[in-house]
Amino acid sequence: MDVTGGWVREAPPTSRVLAAYMQIINLTDADLTVTGITSPDFDSAELHRTVVEGGVASMLPVPELIVPAAGSVLLEPGGLHLMLFDPVRPLLQGDSVTLVLHRSDGICITLSVPVLRSRSDEGAQHHH
Amino acid sequence: MQTGIRHPLRKHLLIGGIIAVFALLAGVWSALQLRERAVHDDELAATRFPVARDISAFTLVDHRSEPFTNASLQGVWSFLFFGYTHCPDVCPTTLSVLNSVAQKLGSDARDVRFVFISVDPERDTPETLARFVSYFNGDFIGVTGEPGAIERLTKQLGVLYMRVASSDNPGSYLMDHTASVFLVDPDGRYHAVFSPPITAEKIVTDFARIRADYL
Repeated sequence: MDVTGGWVREAPPTSRVLAAYMQIINLTDADLTVTGITSPDFDSAELHRTVVEGGVASMLPVPELIVPAAGSVLLEPGGLHLMLFDPVRPLLQGDSVTLVLHRSDGICITLSVPVLRSRSDEGAQHHH
Repeated sequence: MQTGIRHPLRKHLLIGGIIAVFALLAGVWSALQLRERAVHDDELAATRFPVARDISAFTLVDHRSEPFTNASLQGVWSFLFFGYTHCPDVCPTTLSVLNSVAQKLGSDARDVRFVFISVDPERDTPETLARFVSYFNGDFIGVTGEPGAIERLTKQLGVLYMRVASSDNPGSYLMDHTASVFLVDPDGRYHAVFSPPITAEKIVTDFARIRADYL
């Protein structure tokens, strides 16, 4: 399993909840399931999906994320994202965050992602 | 003998026929006008109302603790977005996009304002809003107020919002909320709405046309 394009959105000074985005790629020929996320840099983390229905945005907790065999899953603004609660220290653009993806087969993937103020491609068309 | 009776009838039929033809032409003409306007509007990603809607009085407060009322919407174009400062995904993303819009508009943004209105007044004080909106753009305006007062405005725009308990963090909560961007014209009227997904390109392109068509 490979993870690319990971980033944590720098939060305004008022927020204790940050969002992280990335692309998770399954290089194997069997489905892989992410069952949890932890981070030494936050008190807790959850996977959520933003859903907009009738113009109303909701965040739905996603208990487990299946990454299909030879496929990928994209976490991006307005869609799937990691919710990271209560940073243990202030995080600014340029900092790095450690995230651990826990899989149902017991394997953990540890990644280091940058904190960014915004992505340069924000405001452009996303393909879903 | 019969001609005396038929002449008035034929004249009435003729007049009736002429009126009918005019009515038909008028109907076709206005249908074409409407169709032209519909085609015109199809080119917009935004939904623009054929008649902009009045916004009746409301009294809120901005991030400098100054009053923000329906009078504040006069004389400028206002992009309104409703959310809360503890929002991790939709609100920061949208405000980031709106900042992008402000940058792209450049000097064309002199008569344009961007207003973030909190639907979480319990946590979003003027001070909180000041720190939040200034993070995205120093000119953005943050607005909060009494819950009833906020409701008076949201009801007029059809904005929905509700608390959602956070599973892992009792005592804190998230909010579901309408994620559209609302455009108010310099007459202070609700003029158009941009539905998600919100992109800077869509807003800039549509706003140029809407503004050109205004007046």
